[in-house]
Amino acid sequence: MTDATPCPRCGAPRTPAESPQGLCPRCLLAESLGVEGSVVLSAVTPTEPPPTVAELAPHLPQLALEGLLARGGMGAVYRATQKNLARPVALKVLDRAIAARPGFTERFEREARALARLTHPNIVTVHEHGTSGPYTWLVMELVDGASLRHLMRQGRVAPREALAIVVQVCEALQFAHDQGVVHRDVKPENILVDRRGRVKILDFGLAKVLGRDTDSFTRTSQVLGTPHYMAPEQWERPLEVDHRADIFALGVVFYELLTGELPMGRFAPPSQKVALDVRLDGVVLRALEKEPELRYQQASEVKTDVERIRGTERGAVPEPTAGKAPAAAPTARGRRRAQEERLQARRDERESVRGRRGPVAALRSGLDELLRGVPSPVRLLIGLHMLFLILAALLALVASTGFDF
Amino acid sequence: MEAPAPSEGFHTTRWSQVAAAGGDDAAARTALEALCARYGYPLYAFARRKGAGAAEAEDLVQGLFTRLIEKRELRGLAREKGRFRSFLLAALQHHWANERDREQALRRGGGALVRAVDLAGADERFAREPARELTPEQHFERAWALEVLRVATGRLAEEYRASGRAELFEALKGELEGAHVPHAEVAATLGLSPGAVKVAAHRLRERFGTTLRALVADTVASPAAVEAELGALLRALEAGNSAAAL
Repeated sequence: MTDATPCPRCGAPRTPAESPQGLCPRCLLAESLGVEGSVVLSAVTPTEPPPTVAELAPHLPQLALEGLLARGGMGAVYRATQKNLARPVALKVLDRAIAARPGFTERFEREARALARLTHPNIVTVHEHGTSGPYTWLVMELVDGASLRHLMRQGRVAPREALAIVVQVCEALQFAHDQGVVHRDVKPENILVDRRGRVKILDFGLAKVLGRDTDSFTRTSQVLGTPHYMAPEQWERPLEVDHRADIFALGVVFYELLTGELPMGRFAPPSQKVALDVRLDGVVLRALEKEPELRYQQASEVKTDVERIRGTERGAVPEPTAGKAPAAAPTARGRRRAQEERLQARRDERESVRGRRGPVAALRSGLDELLRGVPSPVRLLIGLHMLFLILAALLALVASTGFDF
Repeated sequence: MEAPAPSEGFHTTRWSQVAAAGGDDAAARTALEALCARYGYPLYAFARRKGAGAAEAEDLVQGLFTRLIEKRELRGLAREKGRFRSFLLAALQHHWANERDREQALRRGGGALVRAVDLAGADERFAREPARELTPEQHFERAWALEVLRVATGRLAEEYRASGRAELFEALKGELEGAHVPHAEVAATLGLSPGAVKVAAHRLRERFGTTLRALVADTVASPAAVEAELGALLRALEAGNSAAAL
């Protein structure tokens, strides 16, 4: 017996017995977990309170600090403006306990320089980095959006959007891998989506800086976020990890995006969980191969396969893909293609938004598009005419059935 | 008995305390008792879903807790670094298998079954649960998440009631689930300024976050695992929801 009613916000059915203090349990948890703001850190309890704006300001005179955006396991993120450029930025101040680890400063310097070279539309740019007084910090591009984790919690990622997101993540990963940078901590918390639907990957290579996957791993395991995205070899042979660990993590994110669940233990292929193109199973499962050798060897290969599936879903001709070598640097043609793809992704997103609004809204916007440019008095006439035709057809139908009024 | 709310920078949790002591420490046993008392129902519901009758399920849960608490079957737990939730489920399954092997008479003959946990009303509560297309394990996780939220909200409501702010809690509790609470109306009803209501709403959300996290921190191996556990609990609830919508 059920007396379940749907929650007005999330639609989840719940009974009074399942509603603590009359509240929706799902929304309660989601609210208390939801991290609002532009930059979202990995969700780990910090070990010490973050420095206040007043404490930081004397050490960072080049920035006008505006306030705390978010805090997480690595430290805290502040909203700020770079005074000389009047550019809004995000300032990440690393936790002092992390900065105090042996060898940290050298590692940070080395990696931060590599990160600063990663200029890509789908990677959060690191503008500046340094150590001032007791603080180690990074000045990054400010992203106006939310993390994939946040979007997934709100249930706002449709399968079509998931594919558009995965394609962009692949582009970012391939670019970084070509520069010799491995992310090592790809997870929904580190994948931001801005208001235009553009993906921005956060914290490239920071896991290495933090020494998360080196021999200090066991000592620092308390700052490890969720381990579900780590490739098997990352656990077993952390020192031998290469870019294929990112491809495994991408597979986990992909699976989670499609099914809402993590691929743990003996998991079912995505299409057995939700209605999907079964060809996606092959892509996800190959990214999730335990042996790095059996996995996709390049992020670009994942992208190619996803795009082929997206393309044929829409009835387009599949592109030839075999043996395409990844470009070392983005060429003008590559950039143009990337631009086109992003535009397409945006169009796709608009389409999926329209689809979710229901058939009546979709019909209306379809009609709107059809009648675009037609002056409104004419539109009215067309509308009345159509209404008349429909009524006439109905009357004819009723008359032909011989129904007596 | 409740532990004080952990402050920022706390480094042990109740569960890590229990696991570290391996059952030899009196304080650890008290901590374990408190934990068991809180999470009896999810285990009971799990046993029922697995096919146990009302009496058998209660016996199983009581028996397990008795073994854990009285008989100090906690040796080797120091290696157990996972979540209390996973540990408890594994322990119940283990206990159940042992019980099946053993003669029923032996189990009942001793008469030493201590009522470690209050399961009064568990049967009725179980009967009221809506049918969901979930595995017993998923049911267990869902029940666990609901238990955590029930205790956290209950504790908060009690805290507000005890300090004479029950009305304020009732008026603002919708904030906790992200509902739109009209602050101006609340201010007018309670005779407060809109500013004071805004501050109170903010405090309530903050207080709930702290209460919830303190509760969850008791069940994981380290404070750093709290957010991940909260995420897992949310997924457990969402699994139940999507299954119910089928």
